[in-house]
Amino acid sequence: MDRWFLIIATLLAAIGGVWGMISVHHGIRSRWTVLWMGAAVVCQLGFLSLRGHLRGACPLQDIGEILVFLAWAITSIYLLIGPAYRISLLGVFTAPLVFGLQAAALISGMLTALPVRELPTGVFHALHSSLSVLAYGALAVAGVAGIMFLVLDRQLKAHVMRSGLFRNLPPAHELLVSLERLLWLGTGLLTCGVVAGFLMPRTPQMQHTHLFLALAVWAGYAGLLAVKAVRGLTGRKLALSTVAMFIFSLLVFARV
Amino acid sequence: MELFCLGLNHRTAPVEVRERFAVSAPRLGAAATELTSMAEAAEGVVISTCNRTEFYLAAPDARHGLLQLESGLTRRERLDGSVSSHFYRKVKADAAQHLCRVVSGLDSMMLGETEIFGQVKQAYQAALAAGATGSVLNRLFQRAFGVGKKVRTETSIQEGSTSVGNVAVDLAEKIFGHLKDSEVMILGAGEMGRITAQSLVSRGARAIFVSNRSFDKAEELARDMGGTAVRFDDWQHALERVDVVISSTGCPHALVHRADVEKVRRARKFRPLFFIDIAVPRDIHPDVAEIEEVYLYDIDTLENLANEARARRQCQIAHCELIIDTELAKLNLPGT
Repeated sequence: MDRWFLIIATLLAAIGGVWGMISVHHGIRSRWTVLWMGAAVVCQLGFLSLRGHLRGACPLQDIGEILVFLAWAITSIYLLIGPAYRISLLGVFTAPLVFGLQAAALISGMLTALPVRELPTGVFHALHSSLSVLAYGALAVAGVAGIMFLVLDRQLKAHVMRSGLFRNLPPAHELLVSLERLLWLGTGLLTCGVVAGFLMPRTPQMQHTHLFLALAVWAGYAGLLAVKAVRGLTGRKLALSTVAMFIFSLLVFARV
Repeated sequence: MELFCLGLNHRTAPVEVRERFAVSAPRLGAAATELTSMAEAAEGVVISTCNRTEFYLAAPDARHGLLQLESGLTRRERLDGSVSSHFYRKVKADAAQHLCRVVSGLDSMMLGETEIFGQVKQAYQAALAAGATGSVLNRLFQRAFGVGKKVRTETSIQEGSTSVGNVAVDLAEKIFGHLKDSEVMILGAGEMGRITAQSLVSRGARAIFVSNRSFDKAEELARDMGGTAVRFDDWQHALERVDVVISSTGCPHALVHRADVEKVRRARKFRPLFFIDIAVPRDIHPDVAEIEEVYLYDIDTLENLANEARARRQCQIAHCELIIDTELAKLNLPGT
């Protein structure tokens, strides 16, 4: 049953993305993407609540669950900020990422077929996992805004204004403001997640590399924000750094 | 009752003829009443803009009404018969189709412009308030507004900017969003620079700085635009704070070089900077565009973008006319 929720959520993200891209290709802004993504988030919640019930804990116990949790965080943050700040096309750019993460989770071996009930791990462990994944959601959406900025910047520099994509992308300044806000939100959540990680009771099996990688990711984002605030950064460098940092930060999952 | 239209526009009459028939906005209602009786018609609406004056009337006999109206107007304006060559005459369905084309912006000097929609609406409301309209014209105009809206929503006839000034403003909005936090500097006190800067101010630009070799001229333009004059030696300092630079000096060589912008990048914290170079020879060296946060557009690029938008609008005409014909066929309007 949990997999069916995930399959439907993946199909909804695919439909949202493809629908949005077709609309953009025809020069119009799709107002349906937000609805497809809204339906996807309901299915993601269905999957996560079933897995959480089976685990008796936060559903972040295998790589598949982490990917779905991350997809849920990304979709939720998009739904929170996209329509509110009228960042058009954010959904069209977010949907393929959500689809990719969920499709990866569906690959054989990513999700434990029969999840076992977890032993209680303590509040700091749960806090570390959930806050960190939420932070990754915000940072992923920041990366999406960064890609949108890079596309627009390239078109503005090359004087290419005929495409439907150019007409429908939000202004460059608004993309950068949203990107920066998402970086602050993501880094704030990540700070709490990392602190909770260091407060977890130590066990002999604990992978210290994971926590140090998380700390390195946190330092990277904090450094980026500090440079932006103190010295300033061009939009292109900020966007490229955000995308590169997110790709680098996925290393933490490789060591989960 | 038969519908007819007598009119002249920018294509059929020069301005010295058009101005003789122009009607000011406050007089539109009275003019509609007056012309209705002149043409021995039952209903009338007068549309008058800078590019056209058109009389829409409904009378028992359209041909007779047209003759009466034309001779009455010629007599009133004390013009000879040659003026009739400037008029166009539309009867029944042709008149309805013409009104729909006008409302949709298809007959405008700037194809697809939206201002005409409001102007026709204003003319109709004035005639309605003056009691000059009846069942034929009320139905015609209300349907024409519906058709005009349909044309604008279902086609891209109004998309893209067709003038250099508007292209520049659209680009500024694509970079900075709303312009209320943007500051603009004009280099040179030329007319094109002033017009472009005024377009930016009309869309909310916060502050204007004017720099010119002749400080008196800079002060004069700054006063006109509610801005601040900057001595020509100091424009580089102003570059630290502004977001948009419009350059239109008569300088025979490039005035803004890459080094000038590089110098202020740190102070600007690498914020985006939009250069609009409408001078020939160009004021801004092309190397400036290589700086990451700089967007540089010269006059040729802006002209090309405006031409592309015009061409795109031209391509939409057939689609718009199909919508008009289809809608009119469905409506079965009285008087047509």
